[in-house]
Amino acid sequence: MSQRPSVLRRTIVTPLVLIVVLLAIAALTYQFGSRAFNRTVVEMFINIMVVAGLYVFVGNSGLLSFGHISFMCLGAYMTAWLTIPPVMKSITLKGLPAWLLHAQLPMWVATPISGVFAALFALIVGRVIMRLSGIAASIATFGLLGVVNNVYSNWDSVTGGQGSIVGIPPATNVWIGWLGTAVAIAIAYLYSISRSGLALRATRDEAVAAGASGIDIVRERLTAFVVSAFIIGLAGALYAHFLSIVNPGAFYLRTTFITLSMLVVGGMSSLTGAVSGVVVISALIELFRNLEKGVALGGLTLALPNGVQEIAIGIITIVILMYLPTGLARNREFSWRGWPLEQRLRRPVQTALKELN
Amino acid sequence: MTAVLQIVFDALSLGSLYALGALGIALIFGVMRLVNFAHGDFIAFCVFAMLWPSINAAAIVFAGNLPFYLLIPLLLLVGAALSVLSEIIVFRRFRLANPATMMIASFALGFVIRHLLLMFYSSRPKSITLWPSLGLPVELFGARIPMLQVVTIVITLAVLAALTLFLKRTRYGLEMRAAAENFTMARMLGVRANGVILLAFAISGMLAAAIGLILATNSGTADIGMGANVMLIAFIATVIGGLGSVPGAVAAGFLIGAASVVFQATLPHDARVFRDAFVYGAVIVVLLVRPQGLFAPKSTRQRV
Amino acid sequence: MTLLAVDDITVRYGRLTAVRGITLKVAEGEILFVTGPNGAGKSTLLNAIAGVVPPVAGAITLDGAAVTGVPPESIARRGFSLVPEGRNVFGALTVEENLKVGAGMRADRHKIADDLESVYREFPMLAERRHTAAGMLSGGQQQMLVIGRALMTSPRLMAIDEPSLGLAPKIIDQVYEILMQLRAQRKLTLLIVEQSSTRAMMTGGRMILMRGGRIVLEGKAGDMIKDERLRQAYFGFGDH
Repeated sequence: MSQRPSVLRRTIVTPLVLIVVLLAIAALTYQFGSRAFNRTVVEMFINIMVVAGLYVFVGNSGLLSFGHISFMCLGAYMTAWLTIPPVMKSITLKGLPAWLLHAQLPMWVATPISGVFAALFALIVGRVIMRLSGIAASIATFGLLGVVNNVYSNWDSVTGGQGSIVGIPPATNVWIGWLGTAVAIAIAYLYSISRSGLALRATRDEAVAAGASGIDIVRERLTAFVVSAFIIGLAGALYAHFLSIVNPGAFYLRTTFITLSMLVVGGMSSLTGAVSGVVVISALIELFRNLEKGVALGGLTLALPNGVQEIAIGIITIVILMYLPTGLARNREFSWRGWPLEQRLRRPVQTALKELN
Repeated sequence: MTAVLQIVFDALSLGSLYALGALGIALIFGVMRLVNFAHGDFIAFCVFAMLWPSINAAAIVFAGNLPFYLLIPLLLLVGAALSVLSEIIVFRRFRLANPATMMIASFALGFVIRHLLLMFYSSRPKSITLWPSLGLPVELFGARIPMLQVVTIVITLAVLAALTLFLKRTRYGLEMRAAAENFTMARMLGVRANGVILLAFAISGMLAAAIGLILATNSGTADIGMGANVMLIAFIATVIGGLGSVPGAVAAGFLIGAASVVFQATLPHDARVFRDAFVYGAVIVVLLVRPQGLFAPKSTRQRV
Repeated sequence: MTLLAVDDITVRYGRLTAVRGITLKVAEGEILFVTGPNGAGKSTLLNAIAGVVPPVAGAITLDGAAVTGVPPESIARRGFSLVPEGRNVFGALTVEENLKVGAGMRADRHKIADDLESVYREFPMLAERRHTAAGMLSGGQQQMLVIGRALMTSPRLMAIDEPSLGLAPKIIDQVYEILMQLRAQRKLTLLIVEQSSTRAMMTGGRMILMRGGRIVLEGKAGDMIKDERLRQAYFGFGDH
């Protein structure tokens, strides 16, 4: 296909620019940022990975997923199982199979394995979910989130239950975080210019015509689901190595909503949108976090009550949805001339969800 | 025999809860194609509406002190009001939006409500005693069944009967059914869009209040996440029952409740995890065999 | 007297202009046919009058009152009933329930039962199947049902979009026969979108010909049939 090289050439600017900008942020943070700020930026990088993974599925298929954070959970716990010293595991996680109990791998090895683990899981459950109609599939992903959270919260002998497991070697700093985002953005980009990505977007915009053209909707959706799970699993692993502890509560409704919000605010259908959404919302979270801690004005300290952060983000998301349903990026990618596909679709109709139910 | 009877009542009462939850979702979905992810938080809100805001572990009950014939209507009103307000302030703006947008909006609304509750009440579950006498068992055919279970089942059956009568025999019920099938056509026949939608939200809100009352009485606690467990299954039930089918959702709710209880009774005394895993496994099997749901409405496959 | 006045309306779906600058009047008691090839904007015109798609320009007046931008349920209450293309019965509801849907909004509740009986008299095959689910009826029966259903709203002006679509000629004859009877008995004003201009000519009344969102010809149905421009409009030779 002689078309291929020119698509790459025309569109590779986007991921390159994004990666370079993030590298600059990483460098500046490392050089000048306080310890706390460094940690904030790492969190932001991890969120970028998650939202990039989300975009791979949601942006290309038009299907909303509430279950992606379960992949983060899977990735985080898998790397925990692989990297916590066996001595500790044998005390707190007695239920693990012997080979896992005795395993201790370096983070570089454990992280990709965790990503693959999440992807395999997505392959299995995705077979069921992707056959459902659009809205039913979204509800099913919500079910997936609940189920995974349920299992991880209760299977004490293997996951430590609702408490936190400690002992994960801390390894994630801004550079590793940046590397993670580079990998995530690269995979997301490569997927979207691939044949599968293109086919999937066809089903998003004109489901009937796509089917008639021989596109296997279920298979394409499943592919995107698995790729996104890999990226998000990776993110979960890096997150575990960032916090050094994991517990199921970190991978449930709050994180699901925040990441979805980042995707929505930035723009569901473009990679640039996804990344910008993370930056914007992260900045807002930081802002509110500081406001909640208190701002010194003169002799007084003004502080917003705790919890305003989340409420504000919720309200902002709703408002953005009302007035800018395609998000801040409005389906455009960052580039000199615009993505050929996104340009034509100013308002993707998202017929994938207008099927029966 | 008594053991079987106990299982039957367990199944029916658990199934009732799930059925009520699924019903609340299915009603709104029917008229608006909106999946209300905030429903679980509506349930929690109704329960907390009975308490003064505080962070103590012992709830300072205020409205909860009212006698039942005042408390129940009041809470039903609270549920309906919250639901209706949500429609007027939030969902109305999304009437023409695509389903993904509507789902995120409802999810966001739930998020906001949950964190509002967190802010006023903290995440500590509070103990709350509503009608302790309902915890006492009742003798039925030789088995001792907790009174609350009987009440739950009776209430659910009454609600289902009332709703069926309403839908089949009244003008507004007829309009709702017509609107659920073809909203625009119904409007062209004079059915008021806003009226039908507000009605669906009001009924759904009352259902949320009912579930909240049952849960609070059963567990004796008020907890921010209390609606979430029921609603997780309720959502699954609407999918299994067939999106768009109200009776399907209800039936599926009962089915899952029954399956859950049966697994609990037949599996060895192990962690809850395994019972749940079996239920989810059964759900997956159903979806593999019939992805459109067990009772999917025959209508509308998109005509090419 | 003029029951419906459409004044220079333009209707858009997103960036597509479906109706441009249409002006027409319908007098009480008359029949107006709207004909034209596919995509001419006929259905859009009816949908705009019904309030389903508000025009971006122009005004619509029903019985003297301005109804531009008014929601469909209000327009129905003002005596306008649209039977859209495609026989949209409420499949899960019975025939009788379908008929009753439109009756709900009526102020004269005591007359509803009478009206129901007269609809059953006018459409005996509906009376036989009053408790059957509407989804089970044949195409012709469904067409009768949707007309009967619109009648239950007690309209003064009834618009029907493509009553003959997908029906056998004999059934179409029946449908038109009933429509004419209704018109006489109930003093109904009719606005009919009909692809078959022959049918329009056979029935009589006024006709307008639409093409590309505009009215390109109007006059008495009988006269227009002989007009060369009618053929051109359908087959695209000559003007645009």
